[in-house]
Amino acid sequence: MEILGIFKTLEPAAGAINQLIAAGVAEDQITSLSSVPYPEGVLIPERRKPAFYLSTLVFGVFGALTGFALAAGTAWLYPLRTGDKPIISIFPVGLITYELMMLFAIIGTLIGMFWTMGLPDFKPRAYAAEISDGAIGILVTTGDEDELNRARATLIAAGAERLCTEEEEG
Amino acid sequence: MNTRVERYDAARMNRAMLSSMRPPTFRWYLLALVLGAVVAFGLYAFTVQATTGMGVTGINRPVMWGIYIISFVFWVGLSHSGTMVSAILRLSQASWRRPILRGAEAMTVFSIAVAGLFPLIHLGRNWIFYYLLPYPNQYGLWPNFRSPLLFDMVAINTYIIGSSIFLYIGLLPDLAVVRDLSSGWRKKFYGFLAMGWRGSAEQWRIFSRGSTLLACLIIPVAVSVHSIVAWDFAVTLVPGWHSTIFAPYFVIGAITSGVAAVITLMIVIRKLFKLEEFLLPLHFDNMAKLLLAVCLLWSYFYFAEVFTTWYAHKPIEWEIFSFMADRYGSIFFIMILGNTIVPIIGLCFRRVRRSQIALLVITLLINLAMFIERFLIVVPSLSHKNIPFIWGSYTPSWVEVAIGTAAFALFFLLYTLFAKFFPILAITDVREQEEALLGNQPLGRTQVKTLVNEE
Repeated sequence: MEILGIFKTLEPAAGAINQLIAAGVAEDQITSLSSVPYPEGVLIPERRKPAFYLSTLVFGVFGALTGFALAAGTAWLYPLRTGDKPIISIFPVGLITYELMMLFAIIGTLIGMFWTMGLPDFKPRAYAAEISDGAIGILVTTGDEDELNRARATLIAAGAERLCTEEEEG
Repeated sequence: MNTRVERYDAARMNRAMLSSMRPPTFRWYLLALVLGAVVAFGLYAFTVQATTGMGVTGINRPVMWGIYIISFVFWVGLSHSGTMVSAILRLSQASWRRPILRGAEAMTVFSIAVAGLFPLIHLGRNWIFYYLLPYPNQYGLWPNFRSPLLFDMVAINTYIIGSSIFLYIGLLPDLAVVRDLSSGWRKKFYGFLAMGWRGSAEQWRIFSRGSTLLACLIIPVAVSVHSIVAWDFAVTLVPGWHSTIFAPYFVIGAITSGVAAVITLMIVIRKLFKLEEFLLPLHFDNMAKLLLAVCLLWSYFYFAEVFTTWYAHKPIEWEIFSFMADRYGSIFFIMILGNTIVPIIGLCFRRVRRSQIALLVITLLINLAMFIERFLIVVPSLSHKNIPFIWGSYTPSWVEVAIGTAAFALFFLLYTLFAKFFPILAITDVREQEEALLGNQPLGRTQVKTLVNEE
């Protein structure tokens, strides 16, 4: 279950986070929604390092192997003898290996980013369109009905303009 | 309270920056129609070539590369700067980059897509272009990866996919803004493209780091693509081409034409969509300084190449220079004027760097000069190769001219459509900068440094 408090400005939104924590809501259940990024610590501090770099690395290695297999492997499968040139030539194999390594690393970064950002996500979520126009959303996710009510009361007390949930997406 | 706080209004800024996406006017339709007609005529010319044969072109022994390869090199060069400039400015955290990013990245995607068409057009028997792709088949035959044509195929595809991903990732938060401000089918369309982006703190963190990582990955790809194009020439034994300086020289040439094209497009976009509030003289001044630096570098590389050839005075290489001076002296002069004399002298002056008209003239001149430079690399060297009894020359046919012109129209058509259906300014990037300029200390739950803007 999600409850989203919409704030017109930054200061009450930041205050709401402090009040939610004081009301016993765990920090990792709170996040902010905004249309611009804010510097570290302004709203929600970083909890864990993003893990998408691993995807870049894995895809990059896979791309390099694919490139090598394509350039060296296909030359070996269908040997074309040209003058005194080697069948598996270092520079062409290096170039193709490099290009495919970079291509796969870029694709891996995209996939890793989407995976860690939880996208694509087309399920109904608590959201309000005015966030794009500069409003700040403070979102609490919880499975406990009591905690949800506590969060609702705290967000109202902190000055939220309005509240919304998954069912009443703005 | 700072006066900027009063000026900063997210909703107003969103609408102002999305002004290019307003319903098309009659003039927009007319422009799209004219561009579409030129593209259609190019398609007709291509159909003539495909059904009649390569004999309808001016390509013949000894000049087997004509307008198609010249255009290919030109468009690859043009594509070079968009993503690369954007990536470099992102990595160096140049805050003035923000209004420029999107236009530059879109330019890269469309120009590399146009560039990728030319090797296919040049192939002959275009309908079996897929022989270039490595796929298992009943002959057990694979493409020969030792051929530079295959280097091109792989590098261009890498760059097209990489640049498109770079553009799309940058667009993601802006697509969410457009989704939130739209209704009906537009809301569904942009909602699908935004992939459910909500702008949570975690998403912004990953977005920021991922964009930086993508910038790090795309820069070496951009350098490799134009180096590979240069090696199409340099690995041959054709006099005038077989030179170690070709790869870096091509890269610098590409950056020169790319930066010039970004400035040209910025001037046009600023005027057409009335974005004077966001594209400030400061942005043009900084881009013009960058252009001045790359023009100096290009001139240095060209001088280094010509000087060593002149001093060594190898007969066959000197023959090519003599032929170029005799046959193409006038366009050679335009190239030097456009790439060296006018920009280096003109861009030293602040007033010129901040004048829209002067910059438009200089940047268009640079790209004219760069097209000539590509022509002068391809044609004279092939015209006067090692065996004098097959020396010849080249004149493009109407088919090549039509296809070459259609490429320009296609590029502008794609760009026009993009500007109509997608945010041409990086909305969230620009707004992030504006928020940082508010000067509030403390901000939220922490203390942040304020920024000072030159303008």
